Amino acid sequence: MIQATTKQSIESKPRKYNNKLRLKNGLIGWSFIAIATAMIGLFYFYPMAQALILSFQSGAGANLQFVGFDNYLRLFTDPTFIAAVKNTVIYLIIQVPIMIILALLISVLLNDKKLKLKGFFRTAIFLPCITSLVAYSVVFKYLFGTDGIINQLLINVSLISEPIQWLTDPFWAKVTIIIAITWRWTGYNMIFYLSALQNVDNSIYEAAKIDGANAFQQFFKITIPMLKPIILFTSITSTIGTLQLFDEVMNITKGGPGNATLTISQYIYNLSFKYTPDFGYAATVSYAIVIMIVIFSIIQFKVAGDKNA
Amino acid sequence: MKKVLALLMVSMLLLAACSSGSSNGTESKKDSETNEITAWAWDKNFNIKALELAKEGYASENPDLKVNIIENAQDDIVQKLNTSLSSGTTKGLPNIVLIEDYNAKSFLQAYPDMFHPLTGSYETDDFVQYKVEATSVDGENYGLPFDTGVTGLYVRTDYLAEAGYTVEDLQNIDWKEYIEIGKKVKEATGKRLLTYDPSDLGILRTMIQSAGKWYVKADGTTPDLADNDALKLSFEIYKELVDNDLMNFHSDWNQFLATFNGGEVATVTTGNWITPSIKAEASQSGKWAVVPHPSLPGMESVNASNLGGASWYVLNVPGKEQAVDFLTKTFGSNVDLYQKLVNEIGAIGTYIPATEGEAYQTEDEFFGGQTIISDFSKWAEEIPQVNYGMHTYAIEDILVVAMQKYLDGQDLDKVLEEAQQQVETQIK
Repeated sequence: MIQATTKQSIESKPRKYNNKLRLKNGLIGWSFIAIATAMIGLFYFYPMAQALILSFQSGAGANLQFVGFDNYLRLFTDPTFIAAVKNTVIYLIIQVPIMIILALLISVLLNDKKLKLKGFFRTAIFLPCITSLVAYSVVFKYLFGTDGIINQLLINVSLISEPIQWLTDPFWAKVTIIIAITWRWTGYNMIFYLSALQNVDNSIYEAAKIDGANAFQQFFKITIPMLKPIILFTSITSTIGTLQLFDEVMNITKGGPGNATLTISQYIYNLSFKYTPDFGYAATVSYAIVIMIVIFSIIQFKVAGDKNA
Repeated sequence: MKKVLALLMVSMLLLAACSSGSSNGTESKKDSETNEITAWAWDKNFNIKALELAKEGYASENPDLKVNIIENAQDDIVQKLNTSLSSGTTKGLPNIVLIEDYNAKSFLQAYPDMFHPLTGSYETDDFVQYKVEATSVDGENYGLPFDTGVTGLYVRTDYLAEAGYTVEDLQNIDWKEYIEIGKKVKEATGKRLLTYDPSDLGILRTMIQSAGKWYVKADGTTPDLADNDALKLSFEIYKELVDNDLMNFHSDWNQFLATFNGGEVATVTTGNWITPSIKAEASQSGKWAVVPHPSLPGMESVNASNLGGASWYVLNVPGKEQAVDFLTKTFGSNVDLYQKLVNEIGAIGTYIPATEGEAYQTEDEFFGGQTIISDFSKWAEEIPQVNYGMHTYAIEDILVVAMQKYLDGQDLDKVLEEAQQQVETQIK
């Protein structure tokens, strides 16, 4: 009875009122997001535009002058910038796949129904993610010092006779950085896979088992395809994260030895704060990162196929 | 409708608040009668303590002025100055700030008019000359010199004795002789000669300054790498130290301290500010001595050089007159203050009249009774003055890479030529 009357009353209202209601609702909705939009505009887009303008200027400190595209041309002839890009690409090519494969394997292991102490393992692997970047970097620096615990361990089990120069050799310093970021971020990516795996219908696996598929076939033919969108998502976020890598390198090696571990973000820092500041050129380098992130993301979308975008 | 209006009003208010906030900030107080000044410095046991001693002395005669001393890490000071000064505001900045000599010209030239000139407010002749040069731009003096980074060669006398050397054998040697001694010492004791951080070429800076050269020419802007004989020789010496396995590598300050405190190296070549850290290992008392810094062989070079050191600067903000008065009456002229600095924190100033004082003649038992403060002050006066220019750290980062290439076997001339070109495009 109640239902019937309400229906009647709505139908009997004039059309004009309906429009007014819609307008009112719309206004309330807009006003809710108005502040957020204004703030985002003020604190995100306005600085971005300013940085873009800044990237066309150059000079020491406050003496900035417009130089047109000089800063962008300088990028291509600047060996330090090229070294930083090379290092970042090396981290990207080696570290991101290792981390994603590790995260995938761990998440599949943790998703096993028969596994005991699941909560403990999951927490243990996710824990690195909640440690502060600086704190863990400092710990790694001491672990990998010339007389640090890693070298002592390797010497004591007779794997090496001379301590490895983890921090002062150009090759090993890169390895140290890669180990550090892998330790820090694997758990973070694992959580995404784990939650995605829990959404995969178990009956698919049961059907596969009945058809005689072994664990490897299940992994490659079911798990990977089902997780494809998540893998895409994590590889894009990891790529962006690696391109912006700063804290670890700053604290573990300071970019050294030479420029062997320098990242683009750290170069921006050096240009702004370590050297005589050239904020214009530093802004140009920041925009170079933006452009690279866009390009890498497009490539990853293409490789993974547009349907999953 | 009321709610919508209310929301809109609130958001308008918020935006208005934001915009008016920034316009208020530009109005500075025109009150020159401030009786409160602020000073920034780093290192609690050294610079901050020095400021506190100065404050004590000043307060007894000028009780009206309140001096706030704030400790910041050096990197933080550099960042805060850069961000504030480049945005054109001096709000929140102190009256007095300590700046490392290598960085000073970068600030003075990048932010003209932001610093208050001190020309004429103190007697520059009373200070060690290389410091005066480091704190001046275009004939105008901006800084009051503070501590000296005069270098010395700290040596383990017990290790030297094992190799058959005495301290006398190391007086006024050059780097070639140093390497020869190092080889013998390593043979006899198994200890390397020195330890260095491969990303920090401080040792190169000390070598070239002892020959009166720098990464840039005397004008402070022209890069001087490819045709710099002193630099070339320094590269060769560095490689020789590495090739003969006389150089131990560390990657940070704590490892550095641990290396010599643990007796791993036979010598330490660095600024005098390392003295407290050397003495921190009390069990090595009597085993150390300090000899003059090695010179570069075969060219005009003295047995004295500099590494680090900082000076006081006054920012062009209200209260600058008081700040200048504070500095000149303390660090600028007070001989007693410098005696206290030596006695209480081991800080060696660059104020020449102070070196006559009693504290400078004290014998240090840790160094076998050597009067190290007086020795250091003597060497400080010999340091050749060079124009550090404004790009020391930018050039050095390029040289670190050049050094890596050279150690890997590339041709030195080519490596320096490349570095020269890179520096030329980078600094403008």
